[in-house]
Amino acid sequence: MTSQTYTFRIQRNMPGQVGTVQSHWQEYQVEAEPNTTILTLLETIKGGQDGTLTFRQSCRSAICGSCAINIGGRTRLACKTHVGAVAKNGVVEISPQKNQPVLKDLAIDIRPFFSRVHGIKPYLQDGPERAGKVTSTAYDQVNHVTQCIMCGCCYSECTMAEVNPKFIGPAALAKAFRFVSDPREGLKTERLKDLASPNGIWSCTRCTFCVDVCPKEVAPMEAIVKLRTRGLNKGFNDSAGAKHALAFHVDINQSGQLNEFTLMMRTLGIVGSLMETGMAIHLAKKGKIPSPFPHSVTGVEELRRMYESLERNPVDVETKAKEAVPE
Amino acid sequence: MKSHDLIIVGAGLSGMRAALEGAKAGLDVAVVSKVHPLRSHSCAAQGGINAAINPDDKWEVHAYDTVKGSDFIGDEDAIDLMCREAPGIIHEMDRMGTPFSRNDDGVIAQRPFGGASFDRTCYAADRTGQVLLHTLWERLVHSGIHVYEECHVFRLVLASDGHVAGLVVYDIKTGEVFGLRGKGILLATGGYGRVFLSSTNATTNTGDGMAYAMRAGAPLADMEFVQFHPTGLRTSGILITEGARGEGGYLINAEGERFMGRYAPKKWELASRDVVSRAEQTEILEGRGKDGAIFLDLRHLGRDKIIEKLPQIRHLALDLEGVDPIDAPIPVRPTVHYSMGGIRTDKFGAAPVPGLFAAGEAACVSVHGANRLGGNSLLDTIVFGKITGEHACQYVRGAQLHDFPANAVAEEVERIRELKSRPNRGLRPSMLHHQMAEAMNTYCGVYREPVGMTTLVEKFPGWRLDYERIHLDDKSEVFNVDLLRAVELRNLLDLGESIVKGALAREESRGAHFRIDFPSRDDVQWRKHTLAIWDEASQSVRLDQEAVRTVGNPEYAPKERTY
Repeated sequence: MTSQTYTFRIQRNMPGQVGTVQSHWQEYQVEAEPNTTILTLLETIKGGQDGTLTFRQSCRSAICGSCAINIGGRTRLACKTHVGAVAKNGVVEISPQKNQPVLKDLAIDIRPFFSRVHGIKPYLQDGPERAGKVTSTAYDQVNHVTQCIMCGCCYSECTMAEVNPKFIGPAALAKAFRFVSDPREGLKTERLKDLASPNGIWSCTRCTFCVDVCPKEVAPMEAIVKLRTRGLNKGFNDSAGAKHALAFHVDINQSGQLNEFTLMMRTLGIVGSLMETGMAIHLAKKGKIPSPFPHSVTGVEELRRMYESLERNPVDVETKAKEAVPE
Repeated sequence: MKSHDLIIVGAGLSGMRAALEGAKAGLDVAVVSKVHPLRSHSCAAQGGINAAINPDDKWEVHAYDTVKGSDFIGDEDAIDLMCREAPGIIHEMDRMGTPFSRNDDGVIAQRPFGGASFDRTCYAADRTGQVLLHTLWERLVHSGIHVYEECHVFRLVLASDGHVAGLVVYDIKTGEVFGLRGKGILLATGGYGRVFLSSTNATTNTGDGMAYAMRAGAPLADMEFVQFHPTGLRTSGILITEGARGEGGYLINAEGERFMGRYAPKKWELASRDVVSRAEQTEILEGRGKDGAIFLDLRHLGRDKIIEKLPQIRHLALDLEGVDPIDAPIPVRPTVHYSMGGIRTDKFGAAPVPGLFAAGEAACVSVHGANRLGGNSLLDTIVFGKITGEHACQYVRGAQLHDFPANAVAEEVERIRELKSRPNRGLRPSMLHHQMAEAMNTYCGVYREPVGMTTLVEKFPGWRLDYERIHLDDKSEVFNVDLLRAVELRNLLDLGESIVKGALAREESRGAHFRIDFPSRDDVQWRKHTLAIWDEASQSVRLDQEAVRTVGNPEYAPKERTY
């Protein structure tokens, strides 16, 4: 393997007045083989060129979660990212994680992220639902979620966190799933109820970015979807998100297609729908208001039989730790 | 100035487990950690944690394996205590929520590990440390104990009567320097891997607590015993778990020969770590390695077993060495991994400075003696986190806050100001660190000889002068890592000096310490602990000795150690 010169274009952030940072971009040149990690090269720059360059790091082996930063437009662990894999024409652009306040250079303030994790009560609780015996397969659901190292990559890329900073986010929800799935947890139902409240499981837009960027294959969104299913099964169905999902369920079962005319009413209720009148008028002008009486699709009986069969014999949609495909 | 009954420094397994004892006792306990607790290096432990939980096993056998593993220099009272407590600790962690791997019958699974006469190592795939760390963090959050996160201790402060008074703490997030008063201080700051250039350790493993304790008058013990892990990745030194050999992996040389049979005809790859590391180093020195490494071969285990039991190390091999262990052997070499030495304590974790306690890798209790068995470090951290926590709590109940010297905070503020005020010329901290760490690797490695070590000892006064000339590029207040590295570097110098002086003095070979000029163990002269003591007048380390604590068990009498 031959070494080449890479340009690191790094966003420098200096703390200014309370809560603000002054940003500019600075370039550094480093000589490296393509399979050198970004973290090694950041260390090379800090140690040999510019001791002011600031970033977090510790274990160098993708297990402590310190070094998640935005590399080439995507949040990754610097310690397991090869420079050759992310450089474009020899240039690597690096900035801090998104959706979080910056302390200095590439170091963000991790407290808001962890306060969300604290919010889901991240510990086993005693209670009536605690199972006595743990079987050999008891943790099949838990294992892939306990691979989470709380690095924050998912939160940085979360499209919902971007517009709603109150969203508790993929990492915290995956952690919550870890407890809901643990046979030793005593308050599973209470957890599901809490998680169904605003800014919880129903706020996720299922964009899958968290699954894509997770360096530990935790697949947070899959955990969120499973939490939704379990919450609905427990009857926690009065949030807009839950009602929306249930409306889909009813429509497909009844007619095989969505009744979009009534969907908003069923999701947001009468008052909520009235708030959207402006949008309705806009849609009507463009001829986009759907028929209130959609006809059934052909073969709807077969669809219903599939539904019934599935309800009698639910498919195990639960995820097991997936085999990893290296990048 | 804020005060607490007990202040714990370090939020890895030992620190957090000790903190839980404080919460249980209803005391005002606080934890200070330079990283968020989940970033602590305990997370990097992979293979497992030893405990005689199988009815066919006995804690006494575990204890004997540990005494033998220690090359008969571990303190027998502490070893007995640890091995007796081990099964209880496993079941406690299980109740707290650790997802241990299970057998088909639902019982916690165990795998064979080096130097053990029974399959005694409990595990969670190959990320046991991570799940244990997360479990204890969960309990810590539940307990509501205050954690000073990303706060670096700059000094351990004593009162005029020699009792601990508290700490001077530097808040990394803001640059603020403040004092904390405590009736007791428990150091759980881990090891010092960064003393060496190539190490499995995190870059944050700078042995701060050991250095502060020594400067405060608490001796360090057995610093010459540095464990080289047989399977660090060739390029980065990153750990590949002993569990890989526990699951059946082979070590082969560049000729493809499975060589361990020539060195340990009974246990092969599962001899103790010192034995395996020396065998590897011999293969490399005699020309049967490739690019300074030999190979860990897992191919015969098959794809499924590798993916189920060793998923993390497969990723590490892929990400850091470009090798998929399913298809090719992994290049590995002996790499600095663990410090058997540390702050000298009794079996309850108390150091000779009143009010000072230590646990985990920072301490030398000593359960590991001259060589630690794989799977015993996680056990040590949690057992002695608990026991030391309990005893520190008992102690502070009957103790008072001691006078905190008025100038202690100001002196640290001045030290920082002075470091920052130096002109930007001379050495960067990284350059001096590199010089020392490289020399430590060269002259204080798996095989040690006196000429090299003497050269090394003689370099320290010069490096201390150089240390007075280092400069910081970063003069800012917030998140000044440059400053932290400079402060940590003095700690590394203190520890490096204690390691090499201990190694030069110990004229025998025992456990991880091998002298080319004294290749045998000498129980008459050297069945003793080495103490490293800070000498304020000469600003250097001097040595003393202390007897091994024995319990009178005839089984534990030193004998030839073969695997």
